[in-house]
Amino acid sequence: MDLFAQRKIYSVYDITSEIKRSLDKFGILWVQGEISNFKHHSSGHMYFSLKDQRAQMKAAFFRNNNLYLKFRPEDGMEVIVRGRLSVYEPRGDYQMIVEYMEPVGLGSLQLAFDQLKEKLRKEGLFEDLHKIPLPLLPRKVGIITSPTGAAIRDILRILKRRNASLDVLIYPARVQGTGAAEEVVAGIRYLNSRRDIDVIIAGRGGGSIEDLWAFNEEIVARAIYQSELPLISAVGHEVDYTIADFVADMRAPTPSAAAEMVSGAREDLRATVASFGGRLNQAIRRGIERRRLNLERLAHNKAFTVAPNKIRDLQQRFDEGAMRMAQAMRRFCYAIRHRERLIATRLHALDLRRLLDHKKQILAHSRQGLISGTKTCLAAERSRFEVAVGKIDALSPLAILRRGFALCRDAKGIILKNAADVSCGDQVSVTLALGSLECEVKKTNENYELRMTNYELKN
Amino acid sequence: MELKVKDFESALKSLEDIVVQLEAGDLTLDRALELFEEGIRISRFCSSKLDEAERKVEILIKAADGTMKEVPFTEDVEANES
Repeated sequence: MDLFAQRKIYSVYDITSEIKRSLDKFGILWVQGEISNFKHHSSGHMYFSLKDQRAQMKAAFFRNNNLYLKFRPEDGMEVIVRGRLSVYEPRGDYQMIVEYMEPVGLGSLQLAFDQLKEKLRKEGLFEDLHKIPLPLLPRKVGIITSPTGAAIRDILRILKRRNASLDVLIYPARVQGTGAAEEVVAGIRYLNSRRDIDVIIAGRGGGSIEDLWAFNEEIVARAIYQSELPLISAVGHEVDYTIADFVADMRAPTPSAAAEMVSGAREDLRATVASFGGRLNQAIRRGIERRRLNLERLAHNKAFTVAPNKIRDLQQRFDEGAMRMAQAMRRFCYAIRHRERLIATRLHALDLRRLLDHKKQILAHSRQGLISGTKTCLAAERSRFEVAVGKIDALSPLAILRRGFALCRDAKGIILKNAADVSCGDQVSVTLALGSLECEVKKTNENYELRMTNYELKN
Repeated sequence: MELKVKDFESALKSLEDIVVQLEAGDLTLDRALELFEEGIRISRFCSSKLDEAERKVEILIKAADGTMKEVPFTEDVEANES
């Protein structure tokens, strides 16, 4: 046979296509192996190798299929994949196009759970210092849950039984299945945006890990972490732990427990307030009592009893002194009056009065004598006076005039004694005993002298 | 009688402070009486808060325009099916 004669010469592409067609005949198959050289491209496609101790093969896990993957494939992870065999012509590699992958050993969900838990723990989302304390006496609680589920019924029942005066606002959300995580996140954000909510409960009744899965999603965990309101996670039963439970500010093993947490404080708080009230009363009473005892003790101190006694003492002495002085005064007054009487008596004895009367008499007598003597004297003098007056009278020109003589005065007033002192026609005034005359000289007669005759008086 | 500030938590804290101060005992009588009166006021306020008895249960419904509206919640399963 001539190997060269009827040889069929394939192109590289043709033979590759043939190989591809052959591989295609495997159809859908399952392969188990260890992941290595895992690369998750930005395109979303995953490329890796599957290997065991003796062989390896390439694999591609495209985006539209790997989106549903809950866990992260890692080098060294033992997985079971399902897919088809194919050839990547440009490089001549045969590869498996993976459409499903699951971890060997753990369920993929469990693996995803472990991976996320570790990741978030490393970021510090579970730290206590990020947890917000629950309010002691919340006025309104927001509950993210299914409106038809068991959780809300349990919560409301407990609140009613505890007579909690707490308002409830329910944010209805799907708590499992597609989109549930997104609804829970929306609920957390909405309740935070309100001003009247004091605390949030996010929860649901029991179920499988798949049922509870929404509370294991990363977006829910981050929304809980970012919530500024304190949030209680109440997912499933006591034994169920979800990522939400780790991030939440408080984990309630059941929804009922969550209801107790938001309302429980009430009774304890009542007791606390009552106890404070009691302590207030006691403290103030003790304080007052202490001061009162102090005051009493001081009041009984000698300082307060001695002084009043001293004062009373002094008062008594003063009173006595005053009394004695009054007595002394009285005695003194008596003494004086007594002396007065004595003197009066002695005076009387001295007959001073009588003496006085006597003297008075003498005085009166003398006075009389004086008066009469004076009268006599006066009378004598009067008569002498009268005699003198008579004499004077007789000698007075008036008497002369009365005897019929007249007094002549010239115009100058000079008394005329000589007729020669006037001439005919001169005015002369003549004074009579009664009245006067104005005359004119008609004729003068000189050398006529009146001679005294027997009419002369000889003294 | 109005208390300054005072939500329940801060009221309780103030009450505790007052009790501690009064029990310490080294205050003037006037100050002690002042604090005592305030303490009584606060404890009455706290008691009244604890005794408030109203409870409202509501559920949110998304209205046609997309806003959320509160309506009373009944535990009738059908009525609340969303």
